[in-house]
Amino acid sequence: MHEMGIASSVIEAVRVEVTRHPGARATKVGLRLGEWAGVDAESLRFCLEVLVKDTELEPLALDIDFRPRGSELDIAYLELEE
Amino acid sequence: MERVAIEKKVLSENDRLAQALRSQFAECGTLVLNCISSPGSGKTSLLERTLEGFSPDTRVAVVTGDIQTDNDARRLARFGFPVRQITTAGACHLDARMVEKSLEGWDLGRLDLLLIENVGNLVCPTSYDLGEESKIVILSVTEGDDKPLKYPGAFAKSRLMVLNKIDLLPYVPFDMEAARRNARSIHADIEIIETSCTTGGGLETWRHWIAERMRSTADSRQQRVARQLG
Repeated sequence: MHEMGIASSVIEAVRVEVTRHPGARATKVGLRLGEWAGVDAESLRFCLEVLVKDTELEPLALDIDFRPRGSELDIAYLELEE
Repeated sequence: MERVAIEKKVLSENDRLAQALRSQFAECGTLVLNCISSPGSGKTSLLERTLEGFSPDTRVAVVTGDIQTDNDARRLARFGFPVRQITTAGACHLDARMVEKSLEGWDLGRLDLLLIENVGNLVCPTSYDLGEESKIVILSVTEGDDKPLKYPGAFAKSRLMVLNKIDLLPYVPFDMEAARRNARSIHADIEIIETSCTTGGGLETWRHWIAERMRSTADSRQQRVARQLG
């Protein structure tokens, strides 16, 4: 439930960014995830896969930069291709 | 392939809203405390005993979150202070928008203290800023003394840990010293208060802690007003 909400926010941010690059499609999103952020990385990965399935974003690779003892929950970057 | 930096918090919309609430609370001089714990740690009992100790003219209100039922709101409303229930219908935490909505119709300028009882959960509520001045984590002695290590986020982000149900210590293998040590290994400066809602032990210290923070919130507001006028 919680991870699904987080995944929806990530997808929303990806969509906003993609609209700034007409003609490009998103291929990978990079997240920064702290150990104490209260988010399970595998569950988040699963939720993102479910949310992009059968949409213009599929396939979207996920790169998680895991930070021990951190509270980060950030979208660091997006990779796009023409 | 092109890589663009985004550098955006995933929950930026929640954070934006929480920051707006925080500014509003500060402007009104309302101290807001976000109480987080596992289900059954005694959040509602602690709030009951807190409200019970206030004189009727105390300008306090409570927002309480649960997945279902308004049982807690009904328990807390008995003390005559304004109480609102947020029923999340499945969501495991409160977010800033829920809190904003729950405040509709309340004049914050007439509130010195807003107590938020989050949904019973030690994980998800820690991710959502509600605009509070402080998070408070409640850990009862019927749980494990290693919970700070298992759920570090809640302890890392809370200003205060309340060790509750201490009257049950003779009956459970809970090690108070280990709990304190574990909490401080996650958050070195965390403040700790021990309470029992059954015997009333420690409640004076807890009320004093709240009163101090209310005073400091009111002082900050006065200083800001003085700066604006000056």
